[in-house]
Amino acid sequence: MKDLLFEYDMHLDFAPPVEEHRFTLKCIPLTDERQLINRLDVEVYPKEFLSTDKDSFGNYSIYGYTKGKHDRFFARVRGQARTGLAPYLTAKEEHQVGLFKYQTDYTRPGPEILNFAKQFESAAEKYRKSCEVSKDPTAPIANTMGNIKDRTCFHEQEIISTNAATSALDLAVTLMHGLYKHFTYVQGVTDVRTTAEEAMALGKGVCQDYSHILLSLCRIWKIPCRYVVGMLIGEGLSHAWVEIYSNGRWYALDPTNNLIVDDQHIKISAGRDYHDCIVSQGVFVGRTTQTQTVAVRVKEINP
Amino acid sequence: MQEMDLYRHTDTVNELLARYGVKFGIYKNNVFKEQLFPFDAIPRVIEAEEFAYLEKGLKQRVMALNLFIKDIYSDKKIIRDKIVPEEFIYASSGYLAQCEGVMPPKGVYAHIAGIDLVQGKDKEWYILEDNLRVPSGASYPMIARELCRRSSPLTFQQTHIADNRNYAELLRRTMDYVNTGGHTVILTPGRYNSAYFEHSYLAEKTGAHLVTGSELLVENDHLYFIDYSGRKEPVGAVYRRISDEYLDPMNFYEGSLIGIPHLYDIFRKGNVALLNAPGNGVADDKGIYYFVPKMIKYYLGEEPILHNAPTYLPLYKEDMDYVLEHFDDLVLKDVAEAGGYGVQFGSKMTKQEKEDFIALLKREPRRFIAQEVIDFLDIDIFENGECVPRKADLRAFVLMADEPLVWKSGLTRFSRNPDSFIVNSSQGGGFKDTWVLSQ
Repeated sequence: MKDLLFEYDMHLDFAPPVEEHRFTLKCIPLTDERQLINRLDVEVYPKEFLSTDKDSFGNYSIYGYTKGKHDRFFARVRGQARTGLAPYLTAKEEHQVGLFKYQTDYTRPGPEILNFAKQFESAAEKYRKSCEVSKDPTAPIANTMGNIKDRTCFHEQEIISTNAATSALDLAVTLMHGLYKHFTYVQGVTDVRTTAEEAMALGKGVCQDYSHILLSLCRIWKIPCRYVVGMLIGEGLSHAWVEIYSNGRWYALDPTNNLIVDDQHIKISAGRDYHDCIVSQGVFVGRTTQTQTVAVRVKEINP
Repeated sequence: MQEMDLYRHTDTVNELLARYGVKFGIYKNNVFKEQLFPFDAIPRVIEAEEFAYLEKGLKQRVMALNLFIKDIYSDKKIIRDKIVPEEFIYASSGYLAQCEGVMPPKGVYAHIAGIDLVQGKDKEWYILEDNLRVPSGASYPMIARELCRRSSPLTFQQTHIADNRNYAELLRRTMDYVNTGGHTVILTPGRYNSAYFEHSYLAEKTGAHLVTGSELLVENDHLYFIDYSGRKEPVGAVYRRISDEYLDPMNFYEGSLIGIPHLYDIFRKGNVALLNAPGNGVADDKGIYYFVPKMIKYYLGEEPILHNAPTYLPLYKEDMDYVLEHFDDLVLKDVAEAGGYGVQFGSKMTKQEKEDFIALLKREPRRFIAQEVIDFLDIDIFENGECVPRKADLRAFVLMADEPLVWKSGLTRFSRNPDSFIVNSSQGGGFKDTWVLSQ
């Protein structure tokens, strides 16, 4: 458990200025089983009207419009988060998370990913067999974290040791390890439109690419999984990771850092892929060039 | 004999239709062309008793479809109970994740349904397709009836035909039922849309404002219409004739210039009604069609009154085997296409085409359905002064207000090509009035 102070700043600069600007922002973390958000302070400027809502994935969104001419627009979110309160989120029933099993335009595998996926066939086969056995809801939960090397970030009490089954989480962790070994973190070679398959062909990319590829791999074996946007200690930008549905729970994996998410991450939003979690969206009148600057600061209070 | 009088006026009616702008716009090779929608004066006649049976079956079907859409975007019981496999939902282009958990005003999703039927030689009616997104076509028989009455008043005095000019009232009642307070508008993409005539005609007949996206705006969580003097008037119901993807660039396709930013956000809050509700396409997918009789049993606990054309899903192994064995007897439909595109007859393919198609079918079994070719009951049309038989279907309109309402008429479309089964207006077909006898 950690107490974190976070600051999320997003600036848009327009040259020349725009008007009739309508925007939707998804940059506000919410309290859930894993994190408690306190002292939330949100500032959006300029704006004539601001409203809030939750989208279909339960993400907090603020939306509104700015009528007059403006060349700058910013959103600033400040607050405190107590993280690592639980190792997972309680999920809806399996028949209600089915939409997270299917590939999207970002995650759809091509030859590169399918070829890479071949090495995991035997692990996947074990998982498939476990699924058939564990249709019985009273069956013991698999040893969800048995094969994780980095043991600093999970909760011992969560492990119910059985060697009988391979859970979705086990398989996802195996996939994450394989991906981490194969893929290289390099900034600037991919952009927000890069698909999982394109990134795989390059063999390098950033957190968005790691996450999309892991989602693509998990979905090959029909594991429900989702894309998460949030903040991480020590990052200068927003971060992305994934959540895996396993035995009625959402577990968070950070494939860029090859670890199970514990208390260093603050979650903002989740969806099927990047597109469902776009932090800032807008339409406006004006022929302009816009520049977006994002600055995220997360630091521990009294470490 | 009065009917004969009406037939003499075919040309007059067609001329009037042209003058009123009853046209159908189509895009072919990226070129917009307007063509007339040829009217044939011989009506399709449906006896009162037979229509009562259709009406009962149509109401049942549309009620089940509404319950299905509601279930899919909320509890998903039909998936849990394994009536419909989930991949049919999530792989359907009509399923929109943005609609999860959103309840439209009064819980109505499919306000205006266009259900396509055909009658077989055995006189049995079969459902061919459910159209729940933005089905068009009601305006054509409406105006044709109007013009026929004018050309041959005697025909309508002496035959007991249910008046079909009440469609506007039914539509108005449907729009008013879900209106959240404010004006009712019909939202058109503009005059280059294939059904622009219909948009303007329905607006005129229902007294709704005909608007384009640029005349509407979201402010303070409500929708407003800007009138000619620049004044803002609140809007409570939008009969939108724009497809889901283009409705709101903030929630659907970002590049849409004809939509209204944040419209879906205030819909989610219950501050405006959209007819039909976004996300409906999940129920009119050609793959989902197969499951509609199962839905009727599941949600209503009733036996389906109207039957589907016998349909096979190649995704299921036994269906695939059947399809391969009886390939020449079947019609194959691409589930993603509409308007008569993507429909192929096994018997009409060359050997090479067949091989290619079967390879594709095996690669993407989810993409196709196969149906038995129904032996249509042909109906007569006039061609060069002679009566000739042609294939025809019937699009029935079912509106969901406080109760389901079936319009006592419908759009009868026919193929002008004697060898074709495809009646879509975008494929050059014509139309007829549909008379439902009142006694």
